[in-house]
Amino acid sequence: MDLRGTEAIVTLQSSAGQLAPSKNEQVQSAEQHALDWWSLAAIAPAIIILLGFLFLFFYGVFQSLTDLKFGRPLVRFIGFTNYEVAIKTQDFWNSVRATMAYACSAVLAEAFCGLALAKLFASGVFLARLMRPVILLPLVLPPMSVALMWTTMMDPQNGILNYLLSLVGIGRFAWISDASTAMFSLVLIDIWTYTPFFALIIFAGLQGINDEVREAARVNGAKGWATFLHIELPLIAPYILIAAVFRLIESLNQFDIIFGTTQGGPGDSTSVLSVRAYITAFQNLAFGRGAALMVVNWLIVLIGTLALVKLWRSVRQRVS
Amino acid sequence: MRLNRSTPASVLLNLLVLACTLILTFPLVWIVMMSLKQQPEVMTWPPRFIFKPTLENFRVLFDAAQAGATSYGTIKVDFLTPVTNSLVISLGAVLVSLIAGVPAGYVLARRDIPMKEDIAFFMLGFRFAPALLVVIPLFSVFQTVGLYDTYFGMIWVYQVVTLPMIIWLSRSYIEDIPKDIEEAAAMDGAKPFRVVWYIVLPLLKPGLIGASLLIFLLAWHNFALGLILSSTKAPVTVALLKLLNPGVQFYPVMAAGLVVTMIVPVVLIILGQRHLERGLTFGAVK
Repeated sequence: MDLRGTEAIVTLQSSAGQLAPSKNEQVQSAEQHALDWWSLAAIAPAIIILLGFLFLFFYGVFQSLTDLKFGRPLVRFIGFTNYEVAIKTQDFWNSVRATMAYACSAVLAEAFCGLALAKLFASGVFLARLMRPVILLPLVLPPMSVALMWTTMMDPQNGILNYLLSLVGIGRFAWISDASTAMFSLVLIDIWTYTPFFALIIFAGLQGINDEVREAARVNGAKGWATFLHIELPLIAPYILIAAVFRLIESLNQFDIIFGTTQGGPGDSTSVLSVRAYITAFQNLAFGRGAALMVVNWLIVLIGTLALVKLWRSVRQRVS
Repeated sequence: MRLNRSTPASVLLNLLVLACTLILTFPLVWIVMMSLKQQPEVMTWPPRFIFKPTLENFRVLFDAAQAGATSYGTIKVDFLTPVTNSLVISLGAVLVSLIAGVPAGYVLARRDIPMKEDIAFFMLGFRFAPALLVVIPLFSVFQTVGLYDTYFGMIWVYQVVTLPMIIWLSRSYIEDIPKDIEEAAAMDGAKPFRVVWYIVLPLLKPGLIGASLLIFLLAWHNFALGLILSSTKAPVTVALLKLLNPGVQFYPVMAAGLVVTMIVPVVLIILGQRHLERGLTFGAVK
């Protein structure tokens, strides 16, 4: 079975189908055809399941163009009315702002903390080697458990965090129970949970750097910081950016942590688009408008991701 | 890199590592302590670090006969059902993903089919699927076809999380297996199916076990799908949120519930740290 040859045959057939293939090729392609059926049968169940979800995605986009409400028998197509109504309200822009503020500040802070954590654990000191599995810990806990864990710890009356703050002489902090500090608290939870993600990826990047590169820099008289800034950082920048792409997507879509802690409150302070969409669709039962909010959220994710991927590509090109 | 460091620098680095470890583990330690406390002890200020541990909170969670009667009032909880639900749904999702996903991963790794890279990319796209946008229409669909609040429906919808992951992971593990072995077997006249069954699958086993651990974990994590598409078959993450009653906050009981949901992942870390690391960072680092 020469698979390379097959590939050539497939291209040959598709590009120049009118040319009659020689007998030899005919035999080979028949054999290949039987084999292809096996391959198609093997891949079909997965594709069918996933196509179902793709269909649902488009169905959701369609629903955002209707006035669908729970229990209403008649559904009318109303074009972009859901979107027009939404963008005229202050709440909508508030949600867009909250979504972006949450995602951007979380990803930026995680990138810095993750870099520091990775550098620290890459130093190879005794405890770093011993404690490495601990980095994984926040990532394997259910986000909902993380959210509720921090809710109990951030209790303004008798939470442990306020106790620890009082030890260093800081008075009671309101955490998630006050509109002015709620967003900050949520970002803090996100940072605790997902900094390890950056750390793991940057750690892999650091290990990929040749020791000779570092040695060369040292011999040329570069001090520790200079080596890091001018040699290491450009080399691991692509790793940081690809981690940022993944995290940006997930934090723009973040639902569990926010729903588990504040459900969008107090007031409107942490009502990101996904939480608002859930409340619109399943508490106010306006499915059409909820779907419209999710489509907007998805567009933001798409634009943000494409921008970051472009940056990542250009950085990677410059490095290599 | 093992550089020669001066002793003070190395002590400082060790201390920094210790500080990071503390920050990462302290919340868990605190929750475990809280789950072993009585309600009045949780409400005291300053918080106590030394106390007489009790398993009362775990009894409240799982003792159906007493129906959540505690020494400080009655709260209605039934935690055994959601734990069972989560186990059934997650194991079912892993099983279905393995059956549908591993053959697909094999084809994407080894065979030439039209639009192969497009299909692979399409599947990776699901890692970024906006779950809620899929779930909003799914809610009405499930109500209509009667899949709402069924194990079958839940297992199917969990595939949006687990299936793309297992396809990509098994593809990458299969690509790690040298192709020569298969070709040699085929040369000896073995049928393609037998080659896969007797040669590829045994070599793939460790990787598949690791990948299964990871997707089980992803299924265990899920919250939004269960919140919207189930009520009596709700997973444990949804039941947790209900423990946080508005008004009266039985923190120690909730802490016990948290401990239950967290034990599973912590056991999984111990079982397969290496595989989890590869899976969790998958796509970013191969």
